[in-house]
Amino acid sequence: MPEPSPIHPASSVLRDRFQRPSWLSSGLFALFLGFFLWSLAGAGMSLQSLIQGLPNMGTIVGEMFPPATDRAQPILEAILVTFQMALVGTVIGVILSIPMALLAARNTSPHPIVRYVTRSIISFVRTVPDLAWALFFVVSVGLGPFAGTLTIIVDTIGFCGRFFAEAFEEVDPGPSEALDSIGSRPLDRIAVVQIPGALPSMINTGLFSLEKAVRSSVVLGLVGAGGIGAELAVSMEMFRYDQAAFIIFAIFILVYIVEHFSSRLRERLLNQIR
Amino acid sequence: MNPIAQPLVQHGPVAPSVLSDSLQVEGLSKHFKGTEKSVFRDVSFSINEGQSVALIGANGAGKSTLLRCCVRLIEPDSGKVSLSGEDLSSKSGRALKKARNRVGFVFQKHCLVPRLSALTNVLHGNLAHCSGPRNWAQSFARQEDRQRALDCLEQVGLADFAYQRCDQLSGGQSQRVAIARALMQEPRILFADEPTASLDPQSGELVMDLFGRLSRSRNLTVFFVSHHVEHALHYADRILGLRSSELQLDSASHSESAASLREFYA
Repeated sequence: MPEPSPIHPASSVLRDRFQRPSWLSSGLFALFLGFFLWSLAGAGMSLQSLIQGLPNMGTIVGEMFPPATDRAQPILEAILVTFQMALVGTVIGVILSIPMALLAARNTSPHPIVRYVTRSIISFVRTVPDLAWALFFVVSVGLGPFAGTLTIIVDTIGFCGRFFAEAFEEVDPGPSEALDSIGSRPLDRIAVVQIPGALPSMINTGLFSLEKAVRSSVVLGLVGAGGIGAELAVSMEMFRYDQAAFIIFAIFILVYIVEHFSSRLRERLLNQIR
Repeated sequence: MNPIAQPLVQHGPVAPSVLSDSLQVEGLSKHFKGTEKSVFRDVSFSINEGQSVALIGANGAGKSTLLRCCVRLIEPDSGKVSLSGEDLSSKSGRALKKARNRVGFVFQKHCLVPRLSALTNVLHGNLAHCSGPRNWAQSFARQEDRQRALDCLEQVGLADFAYQRCDQLSGGQSQRVAIARALMQEPRILFADEPTASLDPQSGELVMDLFGRLSRSRNLTVFFVSHHVEHALHYADRILGLRSSELQLDSASHSESAASLREFYA
């Protein structure tokens, strides 16, 4: 082996700015590029249609103003129902998520099989989109807000179940081990160590899922699961764009208020726990 | 005023005086799977009630493991352990847990629940004896238990901090709350695994001082692991030394010098 020259020892030689990628990565990149170009056609991307559609968009937006207030009362009632669905669904969902998460978290689950089964249920619930749940519940319990509320409960379990479980797993194991060493029971340790330790994160997740529930409960009405979505669908179908504008504006206000209050509440609660 | 310099109140049941052996260990051995050497072999000693005993040894000598094996938090490979005359080796499940409920444990880290108040954390010591929501938080607890928790805080000089959240306490204060939590158990014996390792020298002295006073005033047996030769000499009646997997020292602390103990760290 040749001695490295003292002026340029092997470790200090500059490499080229760019390394030639391996044949495999070049091939994979070419494959991806091809698939993406095909996907552009598959996704129906067309600049022509976009340009042709522009005047239509202009007309619709033009017709939206001024927003019509003639159906203000039923619309505001529907907004209230939407919020009530979201609130009830989230609260029940959060309550049900706690035992699910305890069964699913590595450090609180009674048995690996229980943990695996609960984890699978939670991920299944989460992967099925909320509109699919809504369609399922509309068929089973009928049209109306109850189907929507059930959807939000299930959706919240899928979301909170996972994040609560992660919060439980991240709790410092020290206090739990200390209480184990003196002979306390697992349920006590969950109540005094895991829950207080995970509480800040649970409050965050819970309030975030309320915001998420408000947004999704707006859409649920489109498939007949109660709330403001139905009003929006009807207005659009009857070409009452001015009414639709009023509804969209009302939704915006609702989402804004909920997000504003939930962030205020979050700060208050996080500073208060003891 | 030094908050600890308050008169100590004799509190809780005094262990019956007929039992002179608080902890008795016979032929204890431990070998972790996949390691070449055993942690310790054939260790035997006994600690009298009210005695304060220090266990010294270099890093990795197996001090903490020995301490944990004494209450089977780590399962020893062989040997026998009795606590107050009660044989622990044969117990399992609930009986073992019940035997542990009079053993206070103080760790290197304080192991408190940071978001809860000092009073609630002390109350958790009562979970050793009874389970349920009454001991989950000070707001649910019975009046006499709240009072007892406050008394325990008083004994470590922290009654004024009862309603402070534990994440707002200093390291030394937290360790003293952890000791108060152990007192809440009304322990017969107190184990401490390097209780001063994460504290500054002054807080460390304060904590060790507290152990000494508790041992005397409550006739409490204290068994602590320490890296501090001075702590061992000053605060223990007796010193055990672990080296090369064996118990190579067992003598009264007044017959030892700092120089002779330092050999255990060579």
